[in-house]
Amino acid sequence: IKNKKNISLPISRVRLIMKSSPDVSSINQDALFLTTKATELFVQHLAMSSFNNGAGKETNSLSYSDLAHTAEETETFHFLTDILPKKILARDYLKSLEQMQEEDADF
Amino acid sequence: INLSMDGDSSTTDASQLGITGEYMASGHYVLQSQDDDAEEGMGDHDDGGIKENFREQDIYLPIANVARIMKNAVPQTGKIAKDAKECVQECVSEFISFITSEASERCHQEKRKTINGEDILFAMSTLGFDMYVEPLKLYLQKFREAMKGEKGIPGVAVGESLGEDLTEDSFTNPLPAGIITADGQQQNVMVYTTSYQQIPTVQQIQFS
Repeated sequence: IKNKKNISLPISRVRLIMKSSPDVSSINQDALFLTTKATELFVQHLAMSSFNNGAGKETNSLSYSDLAHTAEETETFHFLTDILPKKILARDYLKSLEQMQEEDADF
Repeated sequence: INLSMDGDSSTTDASQLGITGEYMASGHYVLQSQDDDAEEGMGDHDDGGIKENFREQDIYLPIANVARIMKNAVPQTGKIAKDAKECVQECVSEFISFITSEASERCHQEKRKTINGEDILFAMSTLGFDMYVEPLKLYLQKFREAMKGEKGIPGVAVGESLGEDLTEDSFTNPLPAGIITADGQQQNVMVYTTSYQQIPTVQQIQFS
């Protein structure tokens, strides 16, 4: 009999992550299943949105910067902005720092 | 701001990843910590030890599973960068923690100890994922039907979480789920499942 439970992520690992949240004592079956399933939807959702709307250099690929861009632009994914910092080259950062300092000087 | 000195786009520092799950032929997952090899504990008795070894943000879902779902979510010819996969892997843990702490809070407010399905669905609604709620209710229904006749999960107390029985098998039949993206284009997303079940209302997930 094949698995009719319709899950493609390891539930036990999901449970481990959930339990690592502070003050979580126990989680019932439904909650665990729903979280696992929701996680699948989340991955699809994030991947698709980033692929379609990303600001990466290539259109037919999904890159880190597509993800970072999507997290910033899409309200639903705002909670990810802390772990998805936009990456910039050091010299660009220094340049924009200079610019900011110049702007401050004008005031 | 994350500074990249040499201008390339891959930044993932492997040492920060901490735990990565590895797919073993036997179907077991072995978590490798930086210090020692820890066998993934299925029962509650292992949780104390495991919590000590791993920081909350180091526990991830196996990248193979995550990558597979991503691959099926984008057009077939699309490419996915390696650091994007690793990144989504981290986002997933963040998502789970995000939902869980919200659900847990509600649980505590109502003086309950066990997080139930309602808490999770409520948390999703509150946190901006209400578009998942209806499809999830349907999936839950199917899940319950599949579980019927099984006397709960062997070795797991009533009201407690699922045991190893429900870790995934290999999946061959995809469940197509039509998804309407923000710009109105319908995309077909394949969700890997073993039984080909079409859930009509799942086709109307609006991610807007």
